[in-house]
Amino acid sequence: MTGMLMLLPLILGVTGGLAVGLIPWKSRRPMQLFAAVVLAAQLAFTLWICLTPQQNLTLPLGAVTQGLEILLRADAVGKLFSLLFSFVWLLVGVAGFEYMEHEGGERRFFGLYLVVGGVLSAACYAGNFFSYYILFEMMTLTSMPLVLHSLTHEAVMAALKYLFYSLGGAFLTLFGFFLFVSQGEDLTFLPGGSLSAALTGEQLTAVLLMILGFSAKAGMFPLQGWLPTAHPVAPAPASAVLSGVITKAGVLGVLRTVYFVVGPDKLRGTWVQTVWIALTLITIFMGSMLAYKEDVLKKRMAYSTVSQVSYVLFGLSLLHPLAFTGAILHVVFHSLVKNTLFLSAGAIVAGTGRTRVSQLSGVGRVMPVTMWCVLLVSVTLIGIPPTSAFVSKWYLATGSLASGIGVVRWLGPVILLASALLTAGYLLPLVIRAFLPEKGAKNLPEGDHEPGWRMLLPLITMTALSVLLGIWAGPLMDAVNALTGLLF
Amino acid sequence: MNALIMTASVRLPALCGLGLSFRVDGFRLLFAAVTTYMWVMSSLFTREYLAHYGHKGRYWFFLWLTYLATMGVFLSDDLYTAFVFFEVMSLASYVCVIHDEAPATMRAGGVYLAVAVIGGMVSLMGLFLLWHMTGTLSLEGLRGACGSLLHGTAQQRRWLYIAGGCVLFGFGAKAGMFPLHVWLPMAHPVAPAPASALLSGIITKSGIFGLLVLAADVFPGDGAWGLLIVLLGTVTMLLGGVLAMFSVDIKRTLACSSMSQLGMIITGIGMQDLLAEHNALAVRGTVLHMVNHASFKLTLFLAAGVIVMNLHKLELNQIRGYGRKKPLLKLVFLSGALGIGGIPLFSGYVSKTLLHESIVEYVELLRQGHGWTLGVLSAGQAAILFRGIEWLFLLTGGMTVAYMTKLFVCVFVEKNADPAVQAQYDRPGRYCSPLTAAVLALSAMVMPLFGLTPHATLDRLADLAQGFLHGHSPAHPVAYFSFANLKGGLTSVAIGAALYLLFIRPALTVRQTGGGRAYADRWPKKLDLITLLYEPLTFRLLPNALGWLCKGLEIISDGALVCLFSRVIPAALGLVCRVLDFLTDSVVLLLRHTTHRQLPHPQTVPEGYHMAYRAGLALNAAAGFLNRTMRRDRPITKDYVLALAYRQTVSQRARRMIGASAAFSLLMLGLGLAAVTVYLLWAV
Repeated sequence: MTGMLMLLPLILGVTGGLAVGLIPWKSRRPMQLFAAVVLAAQLAFTLWICLTPQQNLTLPLGAVTQGLEILLRADAVGKLFSLLFSFVWLLVGVAGFEYMEHEGGERRFFGLYLVVGGVLSAACYAGNFFSYYILFEMMTLTSMPLVLHSLTHEAVMAALKYLFYSLGGAFLTLFGFFLFVSQGEDLTFLPGGSLSAALTGEQLTAVLLMILGFSAKAGMFPLQGWLPTAHPVAPAPASAVLSGVITKAGVLGVLRTVYFVVGPDKLRGTWVQTVWIALTLITIFMGSMLAYKEDVLKKRMAYSTVSQVSYVLFGLSLLHPLAFTGAILHVVFHSLVKNTLFLSAGAIVAGTGRTRVSQLSGVGRVMPVTMWCVLLVSVTLIGIPPTSAFVSKWYLATGSLASGIGVVRWLGPVILLASALLTAGYLLPLVIRAFLPEKGAKNLPEGDHEPGWRMLLPLITMTALSVLLGIWAGPLMDAVNALTGLLF
Repeated sequence: MNALIMTASVRLPALCGLGLSFRVDGFRLLFAAVTTYMWVMSSLFTREYLAHYGHKGRYWFFLWLTYLATMGVFLSDDLYTAFVFFEVMSLASYVCVIHDEAPATMRAGGVYLAVAVIGGMVSLMGLFLLWHMTGTLSLEGLRGACGSLLHGTAQQRRWLYIAGGCVLFGFGAKAGMFPLHVWLPMAHPVAPAPASALLSGIITKSGIFGLLVLAADVFPGDGAWGLLIVLLGTVTMLLGGVLAMFSVDIKRTLACSSMSQLGMIITGIGMQDLLAEHNALAVRGTVLHMVNHASFKLTLFLAAGVIVMNLHKLELNQIRGYGRKKPLLKLVFLSGALGIGGIPLFSGYVSKTLLHESIVEYVELLRQGHGWTLGVLSAGQAAILFRGIEWLFLLTGGMTVAYMTKLFVCVFVEKNADPAVQAQYDRPGRYCSPLTAAVLALSAMVMPLFGLTPHATLDRLADLAQGFLHGHSPAHPVAYFSFANLKGGLTSVAIGAALYLLFIRPALTVRQTGGGRAYADRWPKKLDLITLLYEPLTFRLLPNALGWLCKGLEIISDGALVCLFSRVIPAALGLVCRVLDFLTDSVVLLLRHTTHRQLPHPQTVPEGYHMAYRAGLALNAAAGFLNRTMRRDRPITKDYVLALAYRQTVSQRARRMIGASAAFSLLMLGLGLAAVTVYLLWAV
């Protein structure tokens, strides 16, 4: 019955979330404590699952109807993603306790936050396409109110846009699902793919639609539009996880579809791969460029996410072991970096009331610790050694060269570097001005706006990890290498 | 001597993704020692220099971080490790450069950072390509792999040149190579003087380190690469020299001088590849000029730092005459100037002579029909080309002499235009701490020491380092003070004297009203690659063009998609569904509006309603009677004529509609029967 373990994070999340949301807590401290315990327990169970010696823990949960089974299985990918998700979920949650005190509606927020966390963990363990789809949709529906939280007109419109894009994307994947199921495939997740025969033209189209559908969540062109709308209006912890974690659920969907259902060998060299690569490269450049041109801080970060998550998709689209390694590493590193950036942005906006990059002069002097974190993760995101994203980008670029796909071979690294340059362009001036305001600049912030320890602790932890993992990534590297070995 | 140096290497495979590797050998030991020496000396001076500045902790932290990173670059055994530390060095040194945070400093710092980041990215592309092509980045591995690629297919060669060019871009930018030198004359004058000394003396050498690796390990003995580097080096050294002569700012002059000297070093690196197995002189000259230039710039920037520390001024007319009554400072500066000017008996002479002789040697080789000639030139034409480069080298040497003379005369010989200021300058008193004085004296002693004993000192350093560059020992020790060798040095001095007397004095100074001459800034302000080309290109043209492109894509994907799905498609589908929904109703509607128009509610009694009229009048009379008798308080106001007329209309209409509907049904029945008949006929 060790398989039941996989349900624990979900059960914990849902019951914990209901408890937070429905119990009329007298004061916020016990509620926060309770939520923190639930988050920590989720992480603990996830760790337990990851450390269980039993390979591929499996838990069939019956069938909805003939052929539509619900199945959970903890394979290497699921373990890696769930560990990352629940770790980040805990840290952002702790930071959120402090942040949401200004924002209000804490019970509502954390109730849903716990539920989404539970659903996400379960989604990582989904053992076939149908289960993943169900959990993915549940995640969309439960995470939508996080965007909606402030209930302003913009927030409602943004939440609807988020819902619209996510559901629209999911329907695209559903088309592929119906097609394959009607042809007698069961779409179980197996390393290297579970389809029985070579792909027909119709099936290739379906695969592209499935990729596009999940990529909507990951913000890939042409379905990236919800990110810059939803992020600025969501509360900081929500935009942090939206960008750092939930986009990765889209990545996981793509990864499962391509590497566990279709199989990389069936896709290699097809027009679908070409289109996919082209879309990721367009997104990488476009996201960075728009971030460079954007002045609203949180929107800039959102565009940055558009670009960075497509680094991951680019790595996946090459169907090459080196690039795959880079993509998985970038999932981890970008998650740490972007959560830090969004939490810091939230702290800046809450502390100083400044929402635009051009107003951030001198912010480093009133919130030095936060801005140091921003500085270090910025350097990481640009990919300057010895920080972590340099390593992932190294794998991505050399994987691209090694893939030997026509122009992409060298165009890929060139676009990665151009985007890195733009990343430097949209992050470094911000940090430099924050620490070194222009002489005689007016309207500099004054006083001490440093957030409290509950916010700083997660920031510092994630920053330290994002830098140090670049210098020494031992176990992570082993895990990723094992994963790559499994698939190639 | 080589036997005394242990060679050791360390590999740390778990670090930084690919693993780091370090090696200690003669060359690396030499540059580790030079780096440490420079850092210690400049740090000893920094305490006094920064006494009145804030943020000391920040400066010291990043200074020593830069030190560690620089050491990392010099000790690295592969390009990956070198790159990792190179990037750390670039970023950490930025904080030292912008220390005073003035607007001009921030702008210069911005250029420094931009060049460093862009250069880093382009280099990284080169490393990707090299790693992809050779599967290794260790220097030894590269030498073997690239050697075979150079003799491979045309495509392999082409990609190797592209890779090399990319790596060159980043390291060359750090080494102040044209056309990426732009940061150098901007960043040095604004940085604190001890930081300038390090920037100029040793950080630029880390860029040179990359060039050396390219020359010695990636393109060993490749003539085309050598020629490219020689040409870039020549342009760099000439441009640096010209800029230095025109400059009216002591630190800017020194910065441009760095660029010029680095150009000489780069030329020497190119000569190594051209000379291939005859590269002894070029290798030794390059290494020694690197060492010497570090010691010149340490001395000169520290001396300039003493002036800045006291006066907070850099402009030549303002600091003019400051050193007249300061013998120590004068001697120190003189030693540096003579060293960098390549005056015999000072260290610069030795390295410049070696570099010069390497060009002469190549000309000789070409004359004998050896050597690489670009494939299109005859040996004779190539010889003329290199003869020209040789003369440009001597000319640059002359320029060095000329601009150092300009500085020396200005600060230590001439009097200030304002006698009051001069009197203040001449007032005896302490202008630096004893520690600073000791540092200055010590750093200045290196030039004559090395210059007087080249065989005992410099030659041994060259022996130590040449293994790294795969240099061959010369057949016999170079007789530095033979006539043939002195001739080159003296030619430069003569050119320098001529340039100073015939160009700088008459053309770059103006007569002042109160007699005497003042230094004039004659360099056209607009003639600057940054404002002319780089800034418009990188900060306006490219971002705007590409930005609009991306904005367009976003609008297409986001705006158009949203519009399509939220407006166009629902509206179109809605229309279709509505049409379907109303298909039947619409027929009825159509009929009601055309042939079966409904009648308006009658307001006056229409004609022809006789029954209704009479019955209505009777009822009205009855109602009137009732109103007057029983219903006084609630009178009946209804007009029965109108009401009855309406009833009659409705019933008439109903009758007509029933008739019409029956007609419609009959019509439909008829049509249906007709259709059935046609079908039956057709089917049968």
